[in-house]
Amino acid sequence: MTKPLDVLIAGAGPAGLATAIRLRQRLREANREASVVVIDKAPKLGYHNLSGAVFESGCLDALVPGWREEKDPFIQGMVPVQRDEMFFLTQTGARQVPVALVPKAMHHTGDHAISINRLVRWLGAVAKREGAEIHLGFSGREPILDGEAVRGLRLADQGRSTHGDHPPGMLAGETIEARVTVFCDGSRGVLSRQLGERLRPSRNPQVYSIGVKQLIKLPKDNDFGEGRVIHTLGYPCPSDVFGGGFLYDMGNNEVAVGLILGLDWRYPDLNPQRELERLREHPVIAELLKGGEVTATGVKTIPEGGFYSLPSLVTEGALLAGDAAGFVNMRKIKGIHYAILSGIAAADTIFDALERDDFSEQALLPYKKALGRTVLEPLRSARNFRQVFQLGLHLGAPLSAVQHLLPFGLPTKPDHEALRPGLRLHHDDATGMDKATFVNLSGANHREDEPSHIVIRDPALCESCEKEYGAPCVQLCPGEVYRMRDHRILLSPSNCMHDGSCSVKCPHQNVIWTAPEGGEGPRYRKM
Amino acid sequence: MQTTSSPIHCIVLVKQVPDISDLRPDAWDTDKGTLRRGVLDSILNPLDAHALNLANRIRRDGGRIIALTMGPPQAEEMLLDCLARCADDAVLLTDRFFAGADTCATAYALASAIRRIVRDFELGSNYVVLTGMQSTDGDTAQVPAQVAEELGMGQIAYAERAEWQDRLLVHRIGPRGKETVAPREFPILVTVTSSDVPVHRSFHRARAALLQPVPRWSAKDLDLPTERLGLSGSRTQVVRIFSPDAAKEGQCRLLTDAAQLVKEIRSAWGRGARKISKSDCPEYELQGREPAHTGEVWVFAEQEEGSLHPVSLELLGTARCLAKPLGAAVGAVLLGDTPGELGATLIAHGADRVYVAANPLLTDFRPVPYKTALTTAIARYRPQIVLFGATPLGRELAPRVAYAAGAGLTADCTQLEIGDFERDGKTHVAVLKQTRPALGGNIMATIVTRNSDTQMATVRPAVMKALPADPDRRGEIVAFDSGVNETHVKMDVLDRQPLSNDTRLSEADIVVSGGKGLGCKEAFARFIPPLAKAFGALLKAESEVGASRAAVEEGFIDRHHQVGQTGLTVQPRLYVAVAISGAIQHISGMQNADLIVAINKDPHAPIFRHADLGMVGELDTLVPALLKALQQPDSVAS
Repeated sequence: MTKPLDVLIAGAGPAGLATAIRLRQRLREANREASVVVIDKAPKLGYHNLSGAVFESGCLDALVPGWREEKDPFIQGMVPVQRDEMFFLTQTGARQVPVALVPKAMHHTGDHAISINRLVRWLGAVAKREGAEIHLGFSGREPILDGEAVRGLRLADQGRSTHGDHPPGMLAGETIEARVTVFCDGSRGVLSRQLGERLRPSRNPQVYSIGVKQLIKLPKDNDFGEGRVIHTLGYPCPSDVFGGGFLYDMGNNEVAVGLILGLDWRYPDLNPQRELERLREHPVIAELLKGGEVTATGVKTIPEGGFYSLPSLVTEGALLAGDAAGFVNMRKIKGIHYAILSGIAAADTIFDALERDDFSEQALLPYKKALGRTVLEPLRSARNFRQVFQLGLHLGAPLSAVQHLLPFGLPTKPDHEALRPGLRLHHDDATGMDKATFVNLSGANHREDEPSHIVIRDPALCESCEKEYGAPCVQLCPGEVYRMRDHRILLSPSNCMHDGSCSVKCPHQNVIWTAPEGGEGPRYRKM
Repeated sequence: MQTTSSPIHCIVLVKQVPDISDLRPDAWDTDKGTLRRGVLDSILNPLDAHALNLANRIRRDGGRIIALTMGPPQAEEMLLDCLARCADDAVLLTDRFFAGADTCATAYALASAIRRIVRDFELGSNYVVLTGMQSTDGDTAQVPAQVAEELGMGQIAYAERAEWQDRLLVHRIGPRGKETVAPREFPILVTVTSSDVPVHRSFHRARAALLQPVPRWSAKDLDLPTERLGLSGSRTQVVRIFSPDAAKEGQCRLLTDAAQLVKEIRSAWGRGARKISKSDCPEYELQGREPAHTGEVWVFAEQEEGSLHPVSLELLGTARCLAKPLGAAVGAVLLGDTPGELGATLIAHGADRVYVAANPLLTDFRPVPYKTALTTAIARYRPQIVLFGATPLGRELAPRVAYAAGAGLTADCTQLEIGDFERDGKTHVAVLKQTRPALGGNIMATIVTRNSDTQMATVRPAVMKALPADPDRRGEIVAFDSGVNETHVKMDVLDRQPLSNDTRLSEADIVVSGGKGLGCKEAFARFIPPLAKAFGALLKAESEVGASRAAVEEGFIDRHHQVGQTGLTVQPRLYVAVAISGAIQHISGMQNADLIVAINKDPHAPIFRHADLGMVGELDTLVPALLKALQQPDSVAS
């Protein structure tokens, strides 16, 4: 049996890599040695990360002092936000929301427009430089649990066949034992979700939104505007769907365009990929993007329940950080800097635990304190922000300005309970990109003869769901993973972009998203 | 002979290549029309992964697996990958002197490293060198054969499986079907096209690999003379890179009449492949200048069981074109036990001389005896150009001959012409300009031979045009002694079976594919195989059935028929897509077909953007009409 690792970090995103970097720095300063090992199911650094992203880059000061001077393409390519606008879109027009009416938390001046993939690549290089091990293409299947204590992870099997049997050469999921495991596997992470099921549930159920995004290459002589970021409200969302669009200048004649929609919508036929096309076809947006070509696409879920939806952050032998912990502030629509700051807090806690050789829940509890000012306080002050939008945009927007004054926490209910069987949007008017092209541009791929990593608990339920709701998963999934044929569900799991929105929204909670083999899934490079 | 008790080691040649399975719009430099390699992922060449898998089956009794690559320092990442799978050791050849190497210079460096590995690890002669049949970037399939030639080893090409019985049995795809062969001696080189038992990366091995030193060897470490390395040791040079068919999109001609469609297809087929820009001989005149090379223009005449491969006659047509401005004679080399009768056919199709070596050891193709016979002839008669068909046999043989003869070789050419070429202020008059696709057909490269007297190329079948037979042509049959003896035979062929369907799909001249739009399994069965059969009968060529991924997922046909990004990549002369919408995943598997015909009921289907000819309509009426037209092609009114 191999010796347990000191620190195992599940997920090479901003949270996991920040943990690794800070921990190696602390160890180096104290002249101590401990193994710090990061794993990720993505084949290359950053491939499974997706974000807008307007980034509060100041958080890097605490992690990599002197980062501004580094000669990395990521640092050199960061685009300072120079123009920060919000538009309210009607069917054909657009009205700019006066700056005075935009809450201060939603201002972005001083931030940077970045590609999270490049951020992660750079953080990975820093982590390696500091002596952390990063092993990519290894997919965690489940935490190794001992009651409520975590002893490490078990990886997914590699080489299983569609028949689910054990063909020659199959590598059964390896066991990785560790003294402490940091769960940074992102929104709807397979590992943190299973751990969460064992621990005390959050006060409110976690709720999510889905973000669909495209990167658009504009002609060289475009006049989009350097450092311009635009957020939109209104069209194409009906007023009872929480959400909005964004257009960010990424430099190099590229613009990131996306649409974020709260998954608590009521319409079974809402198709986010198509809604993004409708946004792009809006006359004002289309004019901004004239002559552009889509070069990359992607999708992710965002945990947006906020403060009252936070899971248990600590148990014996484990911590949660980043999106996996739900550290997203929907008032700011931001999470990357919380991921990094929570990684720093986790590392500081773990360093002390290593010093004392104590990884009990008690020994790791200081994590919450370390998170306090930088992460938990901002989330607490936005605690009811998302909830008030359950009332719709017209009531929610004004209420959101005073949500923090409410003396109590507003409840949320799980997103899948929101669907109304008879409602229909009938948004079939978009003519743009189809789903097959969308998934192709995400680079998603899985071994075709691998058993489906998407498990349908009871296929018969899908049949009745089709009658009742019209199979919302077929509309929802931008990867066309789900199709109905002769009232039976058909899956194309190799199209999956690992966002997990299907498992959030399925009205019967009939979809179980399990870990596919390592190295598969989308390949996001500039998203 | 093999001994059964000693360990057998494996040296696996691996290469880091750009991942061309994931081409997105940003991968293209639209100004230059070429691929930006920098934006593509670097991955382990997929066939080399199969070679590792097979090595794991072949190693025995504590034998080691040693991964060897030549590349930039970053290639170490891939070697760690190999260690995480099943390699015990890894060696990185890296040196600026290696940069710019063609296949000969690469093979020389790799073979030298193999010699040192054998010495350092004390492998004796009990080892097997394995590697992928070809890499996705170079795509030449030359390096393995040339490594074997440098090391004087036998070669087993196109291996799919291996197992130990009382001796090592390698299952391979031979020119005439699936074969089981057994090496007579070790070491031997095996090139791999697939494997049966995968070896996956292990997390714990990946961790251990980080602690393992990976030696980096330079040219100096191997005592290699720099003039044989890199660009200076190369016998070929790329002189031009350009984009293939940049203007193709949007040129689909939509027809309304099935009979008209059949007529158009026949006429396009008769013209030969679309990729030949000129069907006549290109113009060239020496204008009294001294050509850079002298000697005849030769064609290797490939024969199987007494009949000539059609490509040999096509090559003769090309050879005549090339020979004309040079004022050279055209020669053909014919090997076999009693090959003489085919000489007359070769002469009728354009040969002035047919060089014949008759030897029972040349009855069946085996690389070392064939190479020996050809190099003997080349050394004696000194031709300036030798052309081979890019058939499985030709691709196995030509690299060895070129290496042994000290000649440059360009694989898979789609165009050949005589032209002048400037280098270092000097004009090389009347050299062979060889144009071939690279990076999976995504770029085209024109290449010339340097530092060698003989210029060699392999040419894809069905690309060039044969001359009509002229029974009145006169020529000479020249018998020569091949110098082949029993020691040249390095392996025994124990069993041979005809090719099965699925292996033929990627080789077929005609592929007819059906998509989800057919609606059901019965419709697929009713329309697609009969269409394939009818096209095959009409055009007298191999035809096979393909399918889109959606059709496979619907269960219309099994997965072996899937064409596309995640299925097979095909490059037939004619591709017919029936009821296939044309998702990019599918397009990337068939876009290099010479002629693409789309039949679909949706006129806006993306497939029409990639097709040359198309028909729009309901399949239930269209397909039967097409079948009828195919069966009575001559009753078609013009």
